[in-house]
Formats: sequence, structure tokens, C-alpha cells
Amino acid sequence: MKLALVGNPNSGKTTLFNRLTGSNQSVGNWPGVTVEKKTGKIRTSGFEAEVTDLPGIYSLSTISLEEEIASRFIQEEKIDLVINIVDASNLERNLFLTLQLLDTDRPMVIALNCMDILQKNLDNLDIEGLERELGVPVIPITASQAHGVSDLVAFISQRDFSAQTHVHRYSEAIESVLSCFQSLLGDRFLAVRYFEDGIKALPSALITQTVLDELEALRAKHSDDFELDMDMVLPEDRYRDIERMCRRFLVKNPVGNRMLTEKIDRIVTSRWLGIPLFASLMFLVFFLAFGPVGTWITSWFVFGMDYIIALIDKGATSLGMAEWVSSLLTNGVFGGLAAVVGFLPQLMILFFAMSLLEDSGYMARAAFIMDRTLSRFGLSGKAFIPMLIGFGCSVPAIVSTRTIDRDADRKVTTMVIPFISCGAKAPIYGVFAGALFFNYSYLIVFSMYLLGIAVAILSAMLFKKTIFRGAPANYILELPEYRLPTPKNTLRHTWERSKSFLVKAGTVLLGAFIIIWFFSYFGFVDSTFRLLGKDEIENSILGFIGKIILPVFKPIGFASWQSSVAIMTGFVAKESVVGTLGILYGITGDVIQNGSLLYEPIRQAFTPLQAYAFMAFALLATPCIAALSAMKKELRSWKWLMFAIFYELLVAYLVAMAIYQLGSLPLGRLLSVILAILLGTIVFFTIFRIIKKKGVVCDSCSGCNLADNCHLPKKIAYDKTPIDKKSGDDHEMSD
Amino acid sequence: MTLKDISPGESCVIRNINLNNLRKRIIDMGLTTGTLVFVRKVAPLGDPIEIHLRGYSLTLRKTEARMIEVEKSDGVKL
Repeated sequence: MKLALVGNPNSGKTTLFNRLTGSNQSVGNWPGVTVEKKTGKIRTSGFEAEVTDLPGIYSLSTISLEEEIASRFIQEEKIDLVINIVDASNLERNLFLTLQLLDTDRPMVIALNCMDILQKNLDNLDIEGLERELGVPVIPITASQAHGVSDLVAFISQRDFSAQTHVHRYSEAIESVLSCFQSLLGDRFLAVRYFEDGIKALPSALITQTVLDELEALRAKHSDDFELDMDMVLPEDRYRDIERMCRRFLVKNPVGNRMLTEKIDRIVTSRWLGIPLFASLMFLVFFLAFGPVGTWITSWFVFGMDYIIALIDKGATSLGMAEWVSSLLTNGVFGGLAAVVGFLPQLMILFFAMSLLEDSGYMARAAFIMDRTLSRFGLSGKAFIPMLIGFGCSVPAIVSTRTIDRDADRKVTTMVIPFISCGAKAPIYGVFAGALFFNYSYLIVFSMYLLGIAVAILSAMLFKKTIFRGAPANYILELPEYRLPTPKNTLRHTWERSKSFLVKAGTVLLGAFIIIWFFSYFGFVDSTFRLLGKDEIENSILGFIGKIILPVFKPIGFASWQSSVAIMTGFVAKESVVGTLGILYGITGDVIQNGSLLYEPIRQAFTPLQAYAFMAFALLATPCIAALSAMKKELRSWKWLMFAIFYELLVAYLVAMAIYQLGSLPLGRLLSVILAILLGTIVFFTIFRIIKKKGVVCDSCSGCNLADNCHLPKKIAYDKTPIDKKSGDDHEMSD
Repeated sequence: MTLKDISPGESCVIRNINLNNLRKRIIDMGLTTGTLVFVRKVAPLGDPIEIHLRGYSLTLRKTEARMIEVEKSDGVKL
């Protein structure tokens, strides 16, 4: 038996899916697109079924990619039963999708969720009445507490749904037009979809041009029958029906949880407290993850890893293994893993905090509060938190872009996050600024953070104006009612995110570490190719490459092969840059803990200008391999990953070159300061102008009742061609 | 009059949706003509706005609100 789970976002769909399938789940992608596809199995005694968790949608009209997938899945796949999950505490809007589902001929069952909230609110719902009215079975459940889920499974397993028929009748005027369409299209659902969305709702391959012309003529003719535009007629009729049903079957108690949500929001999203609260909450999350707590846990974690590595080293020696085997194990496999897994505790704290914010309903508020800042750069409010986390670590930041609902926004955010200066880059600034900029070191470090933010924002704007053109960041967001997150769900989300990271670390990353190990621990010494010690990295293949590609780095101010080798090791983890420099300059002692050891060699090897260009390059260039694997996971395409890597390298190179070349001109510093101010002003005004323009662009002039006293310069208003509804809402991405 | 002109704490009734982009989403989420909408608040930075309709809360930007034609209503808070 094949089941499909369909429902609104926030209706508890995923919770029900987890309850139904337990651990028998698999996650994949829908073919050709980048929306997650979850399937799972229900297994009880004598009953087995495959459940597909469709993306959360508000409507079957193909507005976004998610809706298109759900709509096509229901039409084209052989589904034996649709389980429509309906949030009883938000009945009116949830039933809209239900009525659309009734237009299909798929057998269906309604799982009426959140019965606990209904009871808490002291609302009274006549379930049998609703069942009679809709003509399909309605099973009350509370997915979060697993109430009624076994009843639902029992009901599904015992009934034969193949003969179920149901129909939702529209008003007579609509039905007569629908029957015209249906006679031409042969299917009621298609007729409904065509009525509502016109020609783009039809699968073009199935319909001949003559039929199409006939249909279009009919639709044009009948559009005069209705006062409203054709695309509004059916929704209006459905909602009228829903209002009638709600009046009949639902008695709402005016007080209750709704009041609670409103009371919380009176503070959380209030004019004066909203932003300070958001800032403190974010500070708290950061403090937990990157402050004393996180650092303390991490230090124990690293201590444990080091202990294991020492044990392996010892074991390998005592077992008489070849030297390269023990080096492979300690330096390659476990050393690399330690570099990545080392920040797992901090990641888990962040993931945990994210899950809490999401499950409680705060995430939507955060997007609401911060949307304005990001809308100016063409992003949606939901991108704010991921970008903020980027200051700690790119990996959880990139993973959390998953809360952004639109594919284009998700991709843009993912690609610009690495520009934001993460915690691992800080030691690089610390060492260089400390060595060369003395009293100005704080300003220099601060300027690095600003540079990162500026490049991230400008890149986002650039992407939005070029490759993601025609996909304006739409912002229509429901604020769900606050819910107390259940420990089980929060832990589950935390674990799911951590697990996907660990699996990556154990597979793709492992291979990469072995390759990098080979490059840094093997090389020619006195014309024999052999394993090298830690202090011989100069002779390694990596050292060799570093020397060869040094000319490439010359224009951006790299004077020594040490700098190019150090930059390359930053690929494993940005912390390695400082560590490698320490090794290359022959310093014994922990340079990461005690950066001042590096001050003297850096003073000899770098001018302040070279150091600044070096820092800028280290900040902006391709992120560490863990971040790259997270990017691969979220972008879900090698093509996009390659594009991101190339773009980041190019930007890093150009920025570092601009810094170095301009700074080296005669009159050097003075000129560069003037230029920096000038450039800054230009950038600022460009942004400002774009913001100003962006704020007033309309979708089109047609149908705008302001046309006579349009507040826009006429040229902008009329030159702007109407954006095609479908492509405007969700950009089609080729993989 | 558009939805953007309604101050927080006031209610209105939807008359027409003049949006092109996002139009269908807004309609399907329940902003059909005749729907009573309560404007709850404006975000701290002045945009987006939060409205209450059909028993739930929805937030949208003023760019979109500007394209939704409404009529002021004395209807009580939903």
C-alpha cells in the first residue's frame, strides 16, 4: 500500500511522519529538483505500507516548487491513500487544501491533528459533522503526544479505500463551467486546476492544440460570468464553504492558547523590546556555543582525540607497522578527523539551539523582526540567523539555511555565508595584527569582519541581480502559535543534523584528508621519494606546489612560499594556517595557543600591506573542507558547488590584489586610505540607491488602482514587464 | 485605500488583490474578497506587518500590502 502525507507547513506533518514510520526512513531528493524527499515504512503486524512525506504546502496551485511537486505527485503517482493532516487549531486555513484534495479522485483520510490544543483552548469541534460534510473519514490525533496515531494506523489497515468516492461541489455557476472543461479534459481535477490557474496548470504533452484553443475560448467567454478574476473564483467559493462549516461545527472559545501567543508576542515582537530580545537571545546562543561552556567541552573533546591519536601511534609502533601506516593513521585519518570532529560539541550546541528556536515558533518571529534589514539586499528575513551563525562557524550556518523556504534564497545564502568571518579565522588576524599593527590591531581585526560582511552582502545582491534574477525574495510568512518544544523532538532534530555532518566527515572528508595527508607528508628529499616528518613540510608535494604557484600569488602580495603553503592548508581547517606557518618558520611550541611566537618571523617576512592582503585572502578564499561538504549537501549539486568555490576564490583574489596593488602605489598609505574612503562611499551610495529603487518597484501596472497617481517615475513603472507568476515565485534550478 | 494604510489595531475588509507576483499565494492563504483582516502590528524596523485573519497570524511586506485594496471596517478584533 502506498500512502502520501499531505498538509500545511506547521501542521505537524513531520511529527506524524516520524510517529508513523519510526526509524524506517530514508531521505532523498525528488528527481531533478532540490526538495527533500522522505519516505518511510509503516510496519505493524500484518500490515505494511510505504509513506511519502510530501513538502508542506498551503495549496495545490503550482505557486512554488514545493507545491508543484506535491501536486504532480498526487496526480501522477499510484497512491492508494492520501493522508491529509489538518491542524484543528488552525482549521479554517487548513481546510482550504483539504477541499482542493477533494477535487482529486484519490481516496483520502483526514488526520485531524493538535486535538490537545483544541481541548486546551476549550474549543468544541463536531468531528462527526465535519466528517459527514466532507465525505471522508476524519481521525482525531495529537501527533506530538502520539495520541490517536495507532487508531489511525488501525483504521488505514482495516479499511478498503479503493472504492471511496468524494466530491466537493462548488456553486452552480462554477459547476456548469467546470463540466464544460471536464468534457474537454476528461478529468475533474484537471478541469478545476485549469479553471483556477489557466493554461499553465495543464500538462502540455497531453492536450492537443485544437482542444487548447477551444478551452481558452471557453475560459475567456465564461470569465464574464463571474464578478471576480478567474483565479479568485474558486478560492473564494472554497473559503465561503469553509466559513460555513466552521460556523456549524466549530465553537471557538475566545480565550485560551491564542491569548497566550498574543501575550508573548506583545513582548517578543514589540517595537522597543523586539530587537534587544533577539540580540540577547542570539548572544546567549553564541555564548553557550563559543563561550566558556562550548570551549570547555571542546577542550575535553580535543583532549580525548589527542589521547586516542597518541594511543594509535603507540599501538602502531609496538605492532611494528610501517612508519607510513602509523603516519597515515595519526596524521592523516585521525588528525584530519580531529580537526573536523573537534568542533562537533559546538555544532551540537548550535543545532540544539536552532531546533529549540524552530520548534517553539520563535524562528518565524526572528524572520519577522529582521526581514527589513535583509530585504534591502534581496534576501528574506529567514536568512538572518544563518548568516549570524556564520560568525561562529560556517558549517552549522549552512546547515541552518534549510529553514529558508525558497530554493533560490537558500542557495544565495549558502554561497555567501563563507565570506563571513568564522571563529576559526580569528587566530590568523590575531597573529598578523598582533605582529605588525601594534596599537591598531583591534581596528585591523574589526576591518576584517567588516570586509567579510560587505563582501557577503554585495555578493548576495550581485547573485540576486544576475543568476537569480526574476526571483525576488518573497516574504509571506505565517507566525505559528508558540508551542513548548518536546525534548524528544528537539533532540531528534539536533541528532539528525549532527548525524548528517558526521556521516560526511566519515566518508567524503576522510578521503580528502588522506589525499591532503599524502601531499603534505610525502616528497623528494635528496632525490628519494619518502615519508617526511612534520618539520619537513617544505620538501613535501604541498611545499613543492606552494613554490610553483607562488607567482600566481605575487600580484596579491605573497612574498614567500611559506604563505602560499599555509593558505593551502587552510583548506583542511582555517586554524591550520597559523599552525602551518609555525611549522614552516621552524617554531617549536604551540603557535595557536601562543601567537606571539610567530611575531618575529612574520615581521621579517611580511610588510603590513602584504599581511593585510594575506588576511583578506584568507578571510574570503574557499572555506574549509567541512564547510564545503556542508555546502555540497545544501546546494545538492556539484555544479553549484564548483561555481561557489570559483566565485569565492576569484573574489578573494581580486580583493587581495586591489588591496595590495593600490596600497603599493607611490604615496602608498595616504593614497590607499583616500581610495578606501572613496570606494567605501561609492559602495555605500550604490547600495543606498539600489535600496531606494528596490523599495518602490511594482510588479506591474496592470490592475493597479494607483495608476493615475502613481508615485513612481513613469519610466520605471511601465518599463518593468510583469513577472511571470510562476517563474517569479520560484526560480527553476538546473542541477 | 490599501492594507498598508490601515494602522495597527484597526480592521479592514479585503476588496481586491492587485498583486501579480505572489497573488495566488495570498489568495490561497485566505485573503479573499470580503475577508475581515485585523492589522496587529508593524515589525520593529517598520516592515513587514502582521495581520490576523481566519484564526491565524500572517506577516507580509508593505510592498505587497500596498497592492491589496481594502475598506476600513469597524469590526471588532478577531
